[in-house]
Amino acid sequence: MIFLRRTAPLVLAFVVGILGIGVFYVPHETAQDLEKNLSLWLRIVFAFSFFLGLVSLMNLHWSRIQQRGGGWGYSLVVYVSFGIMFLFVVYNDGDGPFAPQAAAGGYQWMFLNVHVPCGATMFSILAFFIASAAYRTFRARSPEAAILLVSAVIVMLGRVPIGAFISDLIPTAAQWLMAVPNLAAKRGILLGVSLGVIATSLRIIFGIERAYLGGGEE
Amino acid sequence: MEKLLNIDRRIIFIFVFLGVSIPLLVEELEFPVKPTQNVRAVHEMLETAAQSDGGGLVLFSFDYGPSAQPELQPMALSLLRHCFSRGIKVVAICLMPDAPGLAEQALTTAAGEYDREVGSDYVFMGYKPGFASVLINMGQDFKSAFPKDRWGTPTEELPVTRHVDSLKDFDAVIDLAAGATPEMWIAYGQEKFKFPLGVGCTAVMAPDLFPFLQSGQMTGLIGGLAGAAEYEALIKTPGTATIGMRPQSVTHLVLILFILLGNVMYFLTRRRAAGSTGATA
Repeated sequence: MIFLRRTAPLVLAFVVGILGIGVFYVPHETAQDLEKNLSLWLRIVFAFSFFLGLVSLMNLHWSRIQQRGGGWGYSLVVYVSFGIMFLFVVYNDGDGPFAPQAAAGGYQWMFLNVHVPCGATMFSILAFFIASAAYRTFRARSPEAAILLVSAVIVMLGRVPIGAFISDLIPTAAQWLMAVPNLAAKRGILLGVSLGVIATSLRIIFGIERAYLGGGEE
Repeated sequence: MEKLLNIDRRIIFIFVFLGVSIPLLVEELEFPVKPTQNVRAVHEMLETAAQSDGGGLVLFSFDYGPSAQPELQPMALSLLRHCFSRGIKVVAICLMPDAPGLAEQALTTAAGEYDREVGSDYVFMGYKPGFASVLINMGQDFKSAFPKDRWGTPTEELPVTRHVDSLKDFDAVIDLAAGATPEMWIAYGQEKFKFPLGVGCTAVMAPDLFPFLQSGQMTGLIGGLAGAAEYEALIKTPGTATIGMRPQSVTHLVLILFILLGNVMYFLTRRRAAGSTGATA
């Protein structure tokens, strides 16, 4: 059993990992065909993850409904909303579940008139909380905080037309802040993260990192 | 002073609400929108595509959901209006599951304004799961990645996509993103097939993408509602983004005033506390 639990996944990760990297850089026709097939398989695996996510979500909310814990009503809303959207998808404006999704009908109406406004509203509410949080926490307590504060004010003004209305220098200063200090910091972070991802990937491919097998370190 | 320092957050909410709602109602309040170089670069990229053989073919990747819709939908509409007005053929795809409804809405709205027909002027391929693997697949064989369009017509039969075999057949690619897809487009698409890549993203994402602009992996960048308003100014078709600049400008100003007020109160309180400590000593 140790072969199925440990050796087989390690060999599989090694072979697919090395192949995945190799075919990306080798322009030979065979390598390119293999890359095409690997990407197709990956898409199929990815599609199955939706079912896994759905089952997990429904299980979580079902247990909350059963236990009648705090906010269980919201879990009921998840079930009702899912049921309504699912029925609209299956009905598909009279075309049935196997026809391409209809351009009009209940699903599209619910998406555009319920889901879109709800999503946009949730995001918009952030403006209120950011304003309140900025008032309370954005203080020039140290020289570094003062620099951050001044930069934020310049960028906030420079990114909207009122900045240019006040002075042409504000958008220029905002652009400089974004294209020089911001870029330098972001590039450093990006390189660090990328090197970390490469190192972790190599550790998984060569079987050094085995946490994905489950059961902890052996 | 203590009261002002610990002001009730509902008062701040009221000011933000007024900062958003009053400028929306006062139409006379206008600020000139000046397009920045990064937005101009996307505009020039599409102009160059329009001058290529066959009038240009541009791939749009709609990678945002309803939460980013207020920022990215005006951007999508402006870019599509520019393409349709210049006779550029458009192929649209989605890498995010909640994007197709918004993509379809933007395509039908813009195409309707310029009498463009689905199939011969634009196509919508719908959503495919897999993010990076879809891009690799499209680079190898576009028709195997998207065998049919959104309404079930085979890709082979659509005039716009009949001759498209790979990502390198596109004159330009535009990614409208609210997530990590621009970096995927660079790693698995642009770097391999060397097409001009323009990105439209939410305002909070824009600073993260500046390194790719300087490296030349991205041709141009449209950031947030301000970027969308700049594009509307470039195509001389003011829309919701231009209108949105009024409340956004005033709200930014309100926020800055609150931050400055908070700092003034903080320093006054600190000075008073230091004074009273000195007096006690």
